[in-house]
Amino acid sequence: MTTELETLQALTTSRLISDVLADEMAKDDRIVVFGEDIATMGGVFGATRQLHRAFGDDRVRDTPISETAFVGLAVGAAQAGLRPIVELMFVDFLGVCFDQLANQMAKNTYMSGGRVRVPVVVRTAVGSIGAAAQHSQVLSATFAHIPGLKVVYPSTPGDACRLLRAAIADENPVIFLEHKRLLMSRVGKLPYADDLQPLDEPALIGQARMLREGDDLLLVSAGYTVQLAMLAANELAAEGISVGVLDLRTIVPLDRAALTAAAEVSKAVLVVDEDYRDFGTCSEVMASISEALGHRAPLLGRHAPDVPIPASKVLEEAVLPSAASIARSARNLLGRL
Amino acid sequence: MLVMRAFEEAVGEACVTGEIHGEMHLATGQEAIAAALEPLLQRGDVVVSTHRPHLHALASGVDPVAMLAEILERDGLCHGKGGHMHLFDPEHGFMSNGIVGAGAPMAAGYAFAQLREGSDAITLCVLGDGAMNQGAFFETANLAALWRLPVVFLCEDNGYGISVPKASAAAGSLVSRGECFGIPAAECDGSDPLATFEAIGQAFVRARSRIGPSLVVAACYRYRGHYEGDLDRYRSDEEKAAAMSDSRDPILRLSAVLLQQGIVDSDEVDALAADARGQIDAWMAAARARDLPSVEFVRESVFV
Repeated sequence: MTTELETLQALTTSRLISDVLADEMAKDDRIVVFGEDIATMGGVFGATRQLHRAFGDDRVRDTPISETAFVGLAVGAAQAGLRPIVELMFVDFLGVCFDQLANQMAKNTYMSGGRVRVPVVVRTAVGSIGAAAQHSQVLSATFAHIPGLKVVYPSTPGDACRLLRAAIADENPVIFLEHKRLLMSRVGKLPYADDLQPLDEPALIGQARMLREGDDLLLVSAGYTVQLAMLAANELAAEGISVGVLDLRTIVPLDRAALTAAAEVSKAVLVVDEDYRDFGTCSEVMASISEALGHRAPLLGRHAPDVPIPASKVLEEAVLPSAASIARSARNLLGRL
Repeated sequence: MLVMRAFEEAVGEACVTGEIHGEMHLATGQEAIAAALEPLLQRGDVVVSTHRPHLHALASGVDPVAMLAEILERDGLCHGKGGHMHLFDPEHGFMSNGIVGAGAPMAAGYAFAQLREGSDAITLCVLGDGAMNQGAFFETANLAALWRLPVVFLCEDNGYGISVPKASAAAGSLVSRGECFGIPAAECDGSDPLATFEAIGQAFVRARSRIGPSLVVAACYRYRGHYEGDLDRYRSDEEKAAAMSDSRDPILRLSAVLLQQGIVDSDEVDALAADARGQIDAWMAAARARDLPSVEFVRESVFV
């Protein structure tokens, strides 16, 4: 991971992720990788490329299209002392293995009174790239609602590397959400990737970060929508609005202290999320700020409406947050002050 | 088997008195299977059990007092957080879980780790006949056969998934659910401890020799309802009387064999039964002496 910055600009985040996986696997032979099309093919997004060649069948295995079997297998293997990383090709497939995620992986530590550890990382691709209702969701709040699962949602290539290392080192199950636009984009083409170094040091799970300071408006987000929030912040700054951007980085644990601190010094807070609205991350973030600060600052969410993600590009664009729609929501919110 | 029978009877009494407030699934009548397991299990083996787990836990060497304390909702094996259905004892390679069929994938995971470590340890996955209709079982059987995992699927076929008889729930035969994946599958009389020992023993040999998974379907009968308090009107009195007759009862059947062969006399059988009850009384007293779980720690162990 000593790649020169110039070279990094030409790589995709999925390539960086595969490099992190290879690096961590070389350091710890308890790490095994399971999933659909992850061995010979190297993953449908290429995030496990070269792993099978480097580590063989012993540690990198294609599974049948049987999410319940391989997710549960990872739980058992973790409890037996291995450190499995599984790839759930699309987050939407959680529907076919939810019992293993929600009733086994999430609960065995608690139900055992702390006697059992389940260090599994579930890497899964989220977000809309034109694949309609069953291959476009984010579902971060669905996982976050179940006690016992950490939910990590990186926003940039550099942070994806650091948070992935932290997820692998964690003794608990971690759902690691990889946005498809992040996976597929070359680092140099992203709106914001100024945090590339260091790539080889783990981040702290549960610690949000301020990407930009400002006191008129605080934008709060996680995952790829942080990129959009940074674009919107630039647009608003050009209009003389001072915008801060808080990258949550992890949905569980939610860094409520950082949220409160950032909201406290801002006149208004806009939360941006690509997940559905009801009972989602926006609501939780706003509730957390309200509980801590009362009605001090006006709050608004810019999220996907509660409809399945539609297929047609024009409809998809209508439901997803964009830099322009975030800026529009921000102006509306500030107009209320 | 005498200890196992007395164990379940004592737990059942604690449900009647209200000492246990929660749901309870007893395995009274299914002792032969757990008794057959006890001498076959070795250190390093793992048992992934069901919602009816007490006897498998005893066979695995789980501390009976810690387990009883957990069942009595005290600061027991899992500090009061698991309860009777979710017993975890990693030191003795034991876990159970309350979702029908869900143990199968986790059992495969333990077996994967055992295969990789190069030992002859194996994993036993216990399932009820109802679990044989779950996708989790089918997916896991397929994967276990493909990866030749050292896992033994043991189906305790007591004929009912809660109230629904097997004939209304399972198309085809249960052994065919192994055979279709190329998994050797055997049926045995799960009320006969010697026949059960034989069938499971052969499956264990295949797993220990790293030949691959096996399925054993052991026919048995659950003496109690699905749960304590179950009115159990779905089974006729005639059926119950026949299935629980002296000639079918696993304990009486083994006693008869031992008496017939002159290995024990009837006084010794009576003495063994009395010893078992005395043992359970002592364990119950020790479990009751445990504290209630501390409410202070209710939020701990969500994460480690």
